[in-house]
Amino acid sequence: MGVSAEKSLEELTMRDRFALEDLVDREALGELSEGFYKLFRVPLRIFSESGLLLADAGETHRLYTYLATLKKSSSAVQEVVAMVKTIDPKLQGDVTYPCVTGAVYRIVGVTYDRRQLGRIILGPFLPHSVHDLPASLLDLDPEIELPKARDLLAEMPRAREETVAEIAQHLVRTLDLILFSGHRALLASSMHLASVQESFKELQEKNEKLQHAVDRLKELDRLKSNFLATVSHELRTPLTSIIGYSEMLVEGMAGDLNLEQRDFVRTIYEKGEQLLRLIKGLLDLSKLESGTMSLSKSYIDAAPLVRDVAQTVTPVARKKGVQIVVQTEPGLPELWADAARLRQVFLNLADNAVKFTPTGGSVTLSAQISSLESGAEDGSGLVLLARRAAIEFRVSDTGIGIPESERERVFDAFYQVDSSSTREQGGTGLGLSIVRRLVDAHGGAVHVEDNRRSGSGSVFVVRLPCRRATVF
Amino acid sequence: MQLDFGARELTIKLVYYGPALSGKTTNLQALHSAADPNATGRLMTLETKDDRTLFFDLLPLTFRDQGGLTVRLKVFTVPGQVIHASTRRLVLQGADGVAFVGDSRISQTEQNAESFMDLKENLKENGLALKQMPLIIQFNKRDLCDIRSDQEIAELAAQGHEPVYLSVATQSKGVIESFAGLVYLTWSALDAQHDLNRKFSFDSKAFLNDVVQKLGQTRSVSQILSARVGGALDVLGPEAVV
Repeated sequence: MGVSAEKSLEELTMRDRFALEDLVDREALGELSEGFYKLFRVPLRIFSESGLLLADAGETHRLYTYLATLKKSSSAVQEVVAMVKTIDPKLQGDVTYPCVTGAVYRIVGVTYDRRQLGRIILGPFLPHSVHDLPASLLDLDPEIELPKARDLLAEMPRAREETVAEIAQHLVRTLDLILFSGHRALLASSMHLASVQESFKELQEKNEKLQHAVDRLKELDRLKSNFLATVSHELRTPLTSIIGYSEMLVEGMAGDLNLEQRDFVRTIYEKGEQLLRLIKGLLDLSKLESGTMSLSKSYIDAAPLVRDVAQTVTPVARKKGVQIVVQTEPGLPELWADAARLRQVFLNLADNAVKFTPTGGSVTLSAQISSLESGAEDGSGLVLLARRAAIEFRVSDTGIGIPESERERVFDAFYQVDSSSTREQGGTGLGLSIVRRLVDAHGGAVHVEDNRRSGSGSVFVVRLPCRRATVF
Repeated sequence: MQLDFGARELTIKLVYYGPALSGKTTNLQALHSAADPNATGRLMTLETKDDRTLFFDLLPLTFRDQGGLTVRLKVFTVPGQVIHASTRRLVLQGADGVAFVGDSRISQTEQNAESFMDLKENLKENGLALKQMPLIIQFNKRDLCDIRSDQEIAELAAQGHEPVYLSVATQSKGVIESFAGLVYLTWSALDAQHDLNRKFSFDSKAFLNDVVQKLGQTRSVSQILSARVGGALDVLGPEAVV
């Protein structure tokens, strides 16, 4: 096998020079050979092309054990065995080779895809035509005890040469099937591996492209935030002058204005203020996005905060005919938070609620003890995850409500459920994204629910962790 | 192509390409059953349980030249289904010649074109250009209804330079002709590139004769090669195979 799957695949399909020992299991080959021996009583050995003995079935016959004790016979037999081992069927074809005892060996090649991978040596066995020890052996070694050797020869397995040739062919065909299956499995697994690698390579390339795109977008986002911060700052400077001078004009510091002039200048002043709020919002957003917003946290009471927010929105609500209701649970624990930023959060939510509630409706601001789960949204592992005490703030309105599909997106910057309502209600689409980021910065969570109690409208639920981190 | 000087062995890779179910495996099966058992091994198929080619089919064919050079032709098919893109690319690696098996039915026109573009793309991925590749085109399934007419194919074939063959692989019609054309083109291109005939004193005519004979043909090579309906069996010029 090559280093890479590609290389090995090419080698496997094009060169496929296998060694027999690589394609077959040696133990299984041994069992197969034993089976053949038991069936036909002809000993057999299987050698790989490199001369490695892979299987050896059958016992040394007693005649050979006896001859091994005699010097001359022993060396003659050894000579034959050595000769048999050098026979190459690739060059000579299948060969029957005689032994000094009159027995013979059958040597056949194991080929696969027209290449010789090894040899099978069957024998020694006695052909039917041989009935006695050859005279040549007796001449060679006078020490042989003829009656004993004859008895032993008679015990040797006899077989017709044609039968043994057929047995050999059968074994070769069996091996061919095994080799084919092995080769096929080898190819299939290499192909599988190569395919997986190829797919992996493709995925990696795609990942790289995606990563590149992400990096580029992140860089763009950073540039955008920087731009936003710079522009907001630059816009604010002249705007401060516009607001300041129009305020002075309204106050009559540059002489009296008639009623109409005062009205015009007041409009300039109010719109200037509105523009300033918008710019501040943009600045906040860019600070929150870039992580440069610093929070000055301290221990604060939730109830006064809620009441203060309610008071702030009351004049606008009253003008519109919307009722403001405050419900705070007594004994609320302290929060560890930036008071000004939290006020901004609730003011924003309350402002929105009033804005989207029709005349005759109501906006409820409430605060109660709750808990905050960390990281167990699907409810798994609750027992392990600390539940922290929290305060749940709810800002409910009786307005048109927010469709479920839009509830996550309302927190995206510049997003508005219905852009026509922006023109009607005013607003920039920045408020809620600032709310979410500020709540996140406090380690809290915010989401929108249906206002089930009143049957219409929505509830913005903000949960903020308390000072004490109690498990309860 | 793999050349083993020591063993005097040359291995050539031929790939049958084409859309799913166009008859690539059937072509190999027809070649296998026509081939002299002494010249071929088992047809190896790596297929799924529904008989679709999963990785590839492989038919080995071996021919021995009088000069002692052994030529091994390894004939592959690729899996046609779109999802096996990476496998097709892998099988195509190192191909010396390609037979494109198209489906003759008019309804399959688009699949043929898509697969052909896929071939082009995959060759490119492997650093090869289509015009460098010895290529024959086979219009298979001539026995079905609603097929492109012989005349239409002949007219289209006349405009291209690849030899085009008509076949019914299930009846072994046109299979050997296509294969002979592919072997002829591939050998010519390899010879032009590597000067094989001279290096090995190889008789390519005798080789082709041997190939068609071992595929059970009694007709002459030129008779078989002339079965194409269009294109030419010109040896690719040196500029095309550099």
